[in-house]
Parts: sequence; C-alpha cells; structure tokens
Amino acid sequence: MTDLPAANAPQHLKLSINSYLKDTVLVAMAVRGVCAMTSLSQTDINRFELCVVEVVNNAIEHAYCGEGGHQVEVDVFYTPDRSLEVVVSDFGTPMVPQGKTELQPLDPLNPDTWTASGRGLPIVERLMDKTRYQSSNGRNSFHMIRTLAQP
Amino acid sequence: MAFNNRQEAGKTVVGIEDARLDASLSVPFRDYMFDLIANGQNDLVIDLSMVDFMDSSGLGAIVAVFKQLNGEGSVQLAAPQKAVHDLFYLTCMDQIFKIHGSVSEALSS
Repeated sequence: MTDLPAANAPQHLKLSINSYLKDTVLVAMAVRGVCAMTSLSQTDINRFELCVVEVVNNAIEHAYCGEGGHQVEVDVFYTPDRSLEVVVSDFGTPMVPQGKTELQPLDPLNPDTWTASGRGLPIVERLMDKTRYQSSNGRNSFHMIRTLAQP
Repeated sequence: MAFNNRQEAGKTVVGIEDARLDASLSVPFRDYMFDLIANGQNDLVIDLSMVDFMDSSGLGAIVAVFKQLNGEGSVQLAAPQKAVHDLFYLTCMDQIFKIHGSVSEALSS
C-alpha cells in the first residue's frame, strides 16, 4: 500500500548545484517552472526568480568566497493556494547576523548613494513576505516565503 | 564574446548577446565597458534588448560603469525587457539612468 501525503502537505522539490555562478541559472529555471504552477503573476514570477538568484549567488560568493566545487542545496516547498517557500543552503562560512537589511535610499543628486553592490539581500527582504536565516551544525539556510493568493 | 560595440550618431552602442546579465557575466561586462572608456568612448548606449534577466550584480556593473565616467560622458540604457526594467524601478535606479524604449530613441535624445 502506498503512503499518501496529507492533503495540505507541501510538495517538495530538492535541487543541488555546484557552487559556480554560471550554474545558478539551473536553479532559476527550475524555480520558474514551479512558479508557473502557482497563481503568481508574470511580474511576481520574475521577482521570485530574482530573489532566488540573489540568495544562491550570495551563498556562492560569501559562504564559499566564489570558489566552485562546493554544494548549494535548494529546497522548494509548494503548498497550493497557500505558499511557496525556497530554502537555499550552503555548508561554508555563515553570514554574520545583521538583522533585516533594507534597500538604502538613493539620492539622484548624490553619487555617493549610487553604490555598485550590496543590493542583493535588501531586494529579497523587500520582495518576499517572510525571510529567515539559520545556521546549525555546519549548514546555513536562508528561507524565503511568498504567500499565494487563494482562489 | 558576449558583447559587441559599434559607433553610431557619435555614440558607442554596446550590445549584450546573452539573455542573462547576472553575477557570472557582470565582471566581464564591467571590464569590457571599462576598456571602452579607457579608449575614449565615453558616450555609451547599452542595448539591453537581448537581456531578459538581470540581477543586482549586473545592475552593479552598470552603476560601476557610470561612476567610472566620473561625469565625463554618459550612459544611456535602451530597450530593457520587463523584468530588467522592473529591477531598475525596484532599486530606484530608474531615477539615475536615462532609459529609452529603443536604441534609435537613445541615439536621437
């Protein structure tokens, strides 16, 4: 007899890539595929992809200092009509806790505010409904959750 | 090579031949643009029509190019697709850059 999951249990997709920036696109395309099953608009799908790419890039660049040959895991939990959660995990150097980061205001008249970096995670914080970072037993996981509209 | 450039109407039009200007391409793109600036090509139009995805690294590279000019030239953006335009909107960078609907519009501005 086959065990069936509970009706409201999330569907789970597990992905793993090598820590090369050029491989981030593999995760991006897979997540876009899942997003296409949801009620998200095209703009929201684009933004969801952006968030996932930013967090995977962040893991590669900071946890592994941009070095290939390490594992980045991505878990996608889809609960129809409720939520889409993506968890990006690495096994490198954990992030220093800084609390929520916000996009810094930009002054069109002050070039000092036109920074060339540091926007990745603030964009994610802006676009996702919930985010959470945890580091435990050598595994660092960034959770991001997007609530889905019910029909 | 993922980039090309041509002279038109006194400006340098830079084409990006990749659909994604992301962290894997942002450094080569920035270096390519810095080389153009070093060769005296300071009025730049970046044709984004082929790019359907850009992340903060790609955006950062364009900002770095703008700052490299140090006020002696211009960077105009042309034909961004929806997701790319949205990134500029989300980060308020649409207040810094002139964004045109097409390359010809940028050249005639």
